[in-house]
Amino acid sequence: MELTVNSLWQYRGRNVFSVTIICLSFLILGVFLALSNNLQFTAKELSSNMVITFFLKKNIGPADREALQQKIKNNPLITGVRYVSAEEALRRFQKNFPELQSILENLKSNPFPASLEARIQERASASSQVLKFVNEASGLSGVEDVQFNRDWVEKMESLSRLARAVGFFLGGILILASFFIISNVIKLNVLARKNEVEILRLVGATNVFIRIPFLLEGILLGALGSLVSLGILFLVIKFFPIYLGPSLGALQELIRFRYLSLSQSFSLIAAGGGIGLLGSASSLARFLKT
Amino acid sequence: MIELFHVWKQYQRSQWALQDISLQVRRGEFIFITGPSGSGKTTLLKVIFRELFPTEGQIVVDGLNILKIPDHRIYRLRRTMGIVFQDFRLLFNRKVFDNVALPLQILGFPRKEIRHRVFNTLRLINLHHKMWDYPAHLSYGEQQRVAIARAVVNNPKIILADEPTGNLDPELAFEIISLFKEVNKQGATVIIGSHDRELIRHFGHRILFLQAGKLIGKEAL
Repeated sequence: MELTVNSLWQYRGRNVFSVTIICLSFLILGVFLALSNNLQFTAKELSSNMVITFFLKKNIGPADREALQQKIKNNPLITGVRYVSAEEALRRFQKNFPELQSILENLKSNPFPASLEARIQERASASSQVLKFVNEASGLSGVEDVQFNRDWVEKMESLSRLARAVGFFLGGILILASFFIISNVIKLNVLARKNEVEILRLVGATNVFIRIPFLLEGILLGALGSLVSLGILFLVIKFFPIYLGPSLGALQELIRFRYLSLSQSFSLIAAGGGIGLLGSASSLARFLKT
Repeated sequence: MIELFHVWKQYQRSQWALQDISLQVRRGEFIFITGPSGSGKTTLLKVIFRELFPTEGQIVVDGLNILKIPDHRIYRLRRTMGIVFQDFRLLFNRKVFDNVALPLQILGFPRKEIRHRVFNTLRLINLHHKMWDYPAHLSYGEQQRVAIARAVVNNPKIILADEPTGNLDPELAFEIISLFKEVNKQGATVIIGSHDRELIRHFGHRILFLQAGKLIGKEAL
């Protein structure tokens, strides 16, 4: 290990170069992975708060409303149904859009219909059964209209998948490039220490004994590169919202910037180490053959 | 222990470094190989530890034809040998201690044993006070002694030394050969290539004389 650290220090110029390249490659992968995580999380948040709103006809009586509420509640996809009166709907509007107060003041009557808000099981929100239920429910007596916006959730999920795919594609290409760079850096290190390798062979060292310090070097370079990229990513995620400031407005709460999960972070470090190991192993295999 | 059968070595066309060398070295023997510069002493030693392949002939060490050992197994042969190279071949990025410890580390000796053996060997050649220096900070003669220490530290069965006293003053040269004799007494087979006739004459062992790559028997010293 001491030997590996000495060698890393001795050839620090080219080692810093290779760590930088690995770091950039993993940073790109990490950025897209974090983006995908955030979109995924937002989509999940949206779908967990997803409700189907049944706007009721004005002339519906309390008994019919009760019956309709019970009927909706009986569906296994629905976890709860809440009645929102026309007055409550008005109050909500006034609270959420205070700047539009003047419009309401000009109206003589309450324009909002009463509604039933049905909360859907989190897992079922994406299923076709929900869409089927929405279609059927729109024909029920006493129901004026049904509102169910899944578009945003679907868009978020598609974007998340896209971000992940782009990340893996770009990151993959760059990681492949880092593999060749590590491979060549280790090859240069081996060539610089050709004499040493020769002496080790002459005093009876096995190929494994000769290889180990170089393999450790590759692992350290790779792991260090990915570790630095995680550090940079952490700083970006921490300070990016501060840089954006209040411009995000109401979205700030929805789009919180989340770091990679612990398992993802460890996977990236392990991948860095793995790339380093493979890079050095491939250059050593070629070198030690001769 | 070591047998050479009609060994020839050619580096370039029409230039033979070794010509039809056949010899037998018995287990525990102490031999000097001598001859003028360019006579083939170094080449002869190099073919014995298989740094070089002979152009023709066979070499048997400890009952094993070393020319048939695959490259990835050659370490087994070299682990039985302690070699002092003419150009020392020290690792300049490692301290004296680490250079001498190398054969022991390769053989997997425990750390404590390594420290003990390295210190004792360096004390024998009076270099223990420079154990933590880098070879570049040592004189030429001191570097040579470090190379000798590395060759003997693991009590190998065979010691091959190419001009091991070349850069040492006569007094130290005698001490070094005495050290090899000590190792020889413990059972090691020692072959020393040297052009130092004074030294060879003094120790009076079996002497092989090489001239233009030919073994011409015992030189009249």
